Amino acid sequence: MLEVRNLSFSYDKRRILKDVSFSVAGGERVCLVGANGAGKTTLLRVMATLAVPDGGSVLLDGQDAFARPLRYRRRLGYLPERFALYEDMRVKDFLAYRAGLKGEPPKRIRRRISEAAQMCMLDDALRSPIRGLSAGEKKRVALADALLLRPRLLLLDDFLAGLDCAMRKVAGEILANAAAFSSVVATGHEIDDFAGWASRFLVLRDGVIADSISAGDPEEGDVGGRVREALAEGGR
Amino acid sequence: MNPVRLTWARTVVQLLKCRSTAVLIGVFMSVGAAVLAFELEAFEGERVSLPVLWALGLSPLLPVLSAFLAMDVWSEERRSGRIDLLLASAVRERDFVIGKFLGVWTVLVFSVVLQLAASMAALWCHVPRVFSDLMAVGFVPALLVLFLQGALWCAVASAASVFSKQPAVSLCVSLTALVVVPRGIWAAMTAWSHEARSVFGEMPIDAHAFDFASGAFSTGVLCMYTAAVVTVLFITSKCVSALRLSGRGAWRLRLSGMSAVVLSVVFSSLAVLLALRLDLRFNLPVGTMRNTFSERTKRILSECDGEISITSYMPRSDQSFRSVGHFLRSLRRESESLGGARLVLRFVDPRWDVAAAQRLVRRGVRENSIIFEKGRRMASVPLKDGFGERLCASALQRVAAPPIRRNIYWTVGHGESSCDDYGTFGMSDIARDLAREGYINRKLDFAAGVGVPGDCALLVVAGAKDDFSRLEMGIVESYLRRGGRLLVLASAAERGGVASMLPAWGMRSMEVSLQGARTLTGGDVIVSDFAEHELSASLRGSRIVLGKPVAFAPSAVADAGGGTGKIDFVPVASVDGTAVAAAVERGAGLGSDIAVSPARIVAVGDAGFVMNGMLSACANANRDFLLNCVAYLSGSGVYGTGGDDAGILAAGMDRETRTKFLIAASLAAPVLVFLSFLVFSSGRRRSE
Repeated sequence: MLEVRNLSFSYDKRRILKDVSFSVAGGERVCLVGANGAGKTTLLRVMATLAVPDGGSVLLDGQDAFARPLRYRRRLGYLPERFALYEDMRVKDFLAYRAGLKGEPPKRIRRRISEAAQMCMLDDALRSPIRGLSAGEKKRVALADALLLRPRLLLLDDFLAGLDCAMRKVAGEILANAAAFSSVVATGHEIDDFAGWASRFLVLRDGVIADSISAGDPEEGDVGGRVREALAEGGR
Repeated sequence: MNPVRLTWARTVVQLLKCRSTAVLIGVFMSVGAAVLAFELEAFEGERVSLPVLWALGLSPLLPVLSAFLAMDVWSEERRSGRIDLLLASAVRERDFVIGKFLGVWTVLVFSVVLQLAASMAALWCHVPRVFSDLMAVGFVPALLVLFLQGALWCAVASAASVFSKQPAVSLCVSLTALVVVPRGIWAAMTAWSHEARSVFGEMPIDAHAFDFASGAFSTGVLCMYTAAVVTVLFITSKCVSALRLSGRGAWRLRLSGMSAVVLSVVFSSLAVLLALRLDLRFNLPVGTMRNTFSERTKRILSECDGEISITSYMPRSDQSFRSVGHFLRSLRRESESLGGARLVLRFVDPRWDVAAAQRLVRRGVRENSIIFEKGRRMASVPLKDGFGERLCASALQRVAAPPIRRNIYWTVGHGESSCDDYGTFGMSDIARDLAREGYINRKLDFAAGVGVPGDCALLVVAGAKDDFSRLEMGIVESYLRRGGRLLVLASAAERGGVASMLPAWGMRSMEVSLQGARTLTGGDVIVSDFAEHELSASLRGSRIVLGKPVAFAPSAVADAGGGTGKIDFVPVASVDGTAVAAAVERGAGLGSDIAVSPARIVAVGDAGFVMNGMLSACANANRDFLLNCVAYLSGSGVYGTGGDDAGILAAGMDRETRTKFLIAASLAAPVLVFLSFLVFSSGRRRSE
């Protein structure tokens, strides 16, 4: 479904991504891990068309993201690492505004909000102003925004950062549900939490995919341990 | 749902929920009202309408308001990181740009309308007389031009907001681009070169505000603002797109974006040039004033017929050029609506229309004048203090009135200046002007044994050096007793002529030596003090120059015998309280038979003031003064008197009224607005 081919990106004279290639099947939950500065956020920004790559392509269902960006973005849900919401709005209004921006017809907006709120367990908070929510709730609102139109591809950048254990578990459940209609590519450092729901780990090291670890084979041992091992190899 | 509409609504709500916006609008209203109060005082008595004044005052404030409103419209999105959410949406950058621009512009429009409502309500309460001739629709063009200019400022300020994550930096950039650079360059240019203002004219932004608010629409200017707004929005959307181009590999896209920006600037400049070249100007009857002209002017316009040419002879860069042009176009429109003469307007700039200017100069027309012509008849109105409808209507009346076939008899044989002498000391020029007015100049030589002919409308004794004989005096006396009219142009050097006869008619010449402190030689005397008399009222604000004039005073030995009423002495022109021109009239008096023609004498203290040499200097109103004297004496009726100018700003605010207005419009109204904002925002919070 998603295919990243030879993606490279450089900023000033520094090459951040070097011929990154991988593919994600429909409904697959891929976790992108790597040390700080490995290029995880940059990769997701490029995949979200927020940055134009030096070369390579991102294909979603065979269509190039940079050739038809609007069409691509219509099927994309993106949660940036440093997200911000309109604090003066109520959750419901914010989601309605975002759904409208994403081109959802007005008649369907209420249903979409209801589905996203249910999925992200925000039913009780819908009428609350965003400025009154906790950090975890705000993150769930941002996640609801990303999931609002049931995107084909969900890009989540370091979205577990700053959440407590219970909230991380909740987030995992949300993403497990989202996999019913989305392929998920998430980044982060919380390997154990990701191990609970990710189907595959991609280890990014110095701008290249150094390792791909599948979580599907229990005979190969603890997936978290193997990911940490792969990361540690890079450190040596 | 349309993303433009969504972004617009979001921006409007975001701005209006902000307390700083309430403070900003309050300050804007306050300053706008203060400026209006100042202008009402400064423009008192000027021919300017209230909407124009209001638009002129508010126009320079709009860039500041726009800069403050738009300072965080993009920079806040960038600073908070929400820009990623926006750019990852399936929405074109231009939709966000247009939506945000429209949001800021809507708040600006709202502020302007609020300011108008508050100012006019306060003005209505304290100075209702300024609304006497005003229709509400008169404010529509003023609002339109402010909205148009506001759109451009909002677009530029929004664009400036893209460049920085810090709203304060965006604000500084906007203020620099919108206020400091244009106004600073202008101020520096005018300060550097005294001629710059006259060469370049008014600052275009202010000129557009004046023109549009006066109803003078120009398609070129409309296109210019529209093209500028569209271009700035296009550049803004390219700048927002460029936020994606942080990588090194995007240089091609950056280059293509920059090329697009350059091309858009070039194309829009070409479009603007073309629009300005093919400029169509409409002087729309927007109904700024219900009664643009006084009843007297309307009567004169309706009585005129044929084709009358009106020439504005002044530089286009002159400050009053626009107001004069607007006034003349209004005059033409009024004449058309009244079925009067067809007025053909021409604008001659002495710097550019050299040939036309030369023709006018040859005819003795001074720069900065309005010339009214019909056939061979011509009247010019100087553009000095007091220019306005009254003088122009009089000039129109003068050139349009049927030719006067009246005889003027110039006495000869006593050393008088001759009406057919073309030398420096002759009076051929003024005689030609009189002939152009329809008078017939004839010479009268008493030595030939003839009396004053019965068809004599006026007897002129111009600078007689020798005394009239007793017989000649008797003839003149007899003529005056029959209701005759006499113009005496006294000769300072030789006090001859009819000087000895004047005391019996209520005036005497005096031995006063007048020195002119304002002339190079000190011999000439500049006269600017004119009485409220029929023949001098129209000269107020003008100057006449006399060379060592004789002074006149009332005579105590006035002989009213043989007359039908008392003698009135009027010092029509004075210098430091000393009359240098005087008029006496012995007529029917109040309550007497109006059919009796009063005898009139006008004496001017210097015969040389209308000699060819003096008139060729073209720097005074001597010619007009003499024409007025002749018209008054011959019974043709002096033009340029009576009636009032309509469309004159007459607020008449005293200190107390101004203070009350300022308290209401600059303090109370903004505070009310601020409180309303607070109630609105707290109400929303409670509902949340």
